[in-house]
Amino acid sequence: MRHLGLTARMAIVGSLLFALYAIAAVVVMGVFGWPLWLVLLASVAFVGVQYKIGKWAALRSVGAREFPVEQYPEIDARVTSLAAEMGIEKPELKIAQMGVPNAFAVGRKGAGTVVVSTELLQTLTIDEAEGVLAHELSHINNRDVVMMVLGQGVASIVAIVAQWAVLLTGDNDIADFFLAIVVGQITQMLVMLVVFAISRYREYVADSDAAAVIGSGEPLARALEKISRGTEQAQHSEIDSQVNALAIFGEKRGLARLLATHPPVEKRIERLRS
Amino acid sequence: MDLRTLLAAVLGVGLGAVFLVSPEFVVQVQTAWRLPPDRGGDYGSETQPANWLGTGVRVVGALLVAGGLYFAWTLV
Repeated sequence: MRHLGLTARMAIVGSLLFALYAIAAVVVMGVFGWPLWLVLLASVAFVGVQYKIGKWAALRSVGAREFPVEQYPEIDARVTSLAAEMGIEKPELKIAQMGVPNAFAVGRKGAGTVVVSTELLQTLTIDEAEGVLAHELSHINNRDVVMMVLGQGVASIVAIVAQWAVLLTGDNDIADFFLAIVVGQITQMLVMLVVFAISRYREYVADSDAAAVIGSGEPLARALEKISRGTEQAQHSEIDSQVNALAIFGEKRGLARLLATHPPVEKRIERLRS
Repeated sequence: MDLRTLLAAVLGVGLGAVFLVSPEFVVQVQTAWRLPPDRGGDYGSETQPANWLGTGVRVVGALLVAGGLYFAWTLV
């Protein structure tokens, strides 16, 4: 599906990231005397390793296992149907016990994997689960995982180069080492703000694609509402015992929203129903 | 006045403050798309770092603030 808004945003963000990467590459070529091919090769290897390790770690960390088709035949059938409608190869479906209703996609088109938690399948109806699965398949279809890993990779490369630039232009005293670490961290955070902004927009696009493919945004909206309500109740019950933790990691406000990878759930629900 | 030491002081305190105030952002920057999305949170929500990780980030933040203040002190 074509999304002019996403294309325009990606053009801007892509150009910005490329410019930052180009500056970093020129610095590496100038300071270390690396030829261009070596800089490109090292960059591709760096991002490639991040992608591979990320996929492996994601599946391993939640203990994802083969999806029990005999237990959830309807879910498997809906994924097959959704993939066919989107015109993509059916991703590998896996299940995991995550302790919360959750689902995520890793990998790329043709080699994607969608993991759903047993808690999600227990919480949602078949139609609501289909909404969630359609959203995850849209991420694979839109190459979101690959694009975001690429963004994260560029942020890391630029940060490492900025760190070295500070180190190599200083007097190697303790203040220079400290400054190099701080500059590296700040650089990475600033670049990631841009990556997070595009990530939030990609969530809306995946929602819109999911709604289009299943013919309505209502099932996904209901799923988000149901999960969000459950979370709120859990948080309220936690307030008494863990006031401190809630104050730090709880509701997203102001700056915290700018730093989020996901848009607010209520806004997503509103858009899905509009 | 040494400009780099001044920068180390100001940026160190600033970065330390971010670590102290928003440890979840720091974790997010380091782990986004390297660890499973939404892990530790519900579907559609942000990944919430474990309490021990949040505490660790805040400890690093306190060290950064202390480092920044030390360099500020050396300038006086």
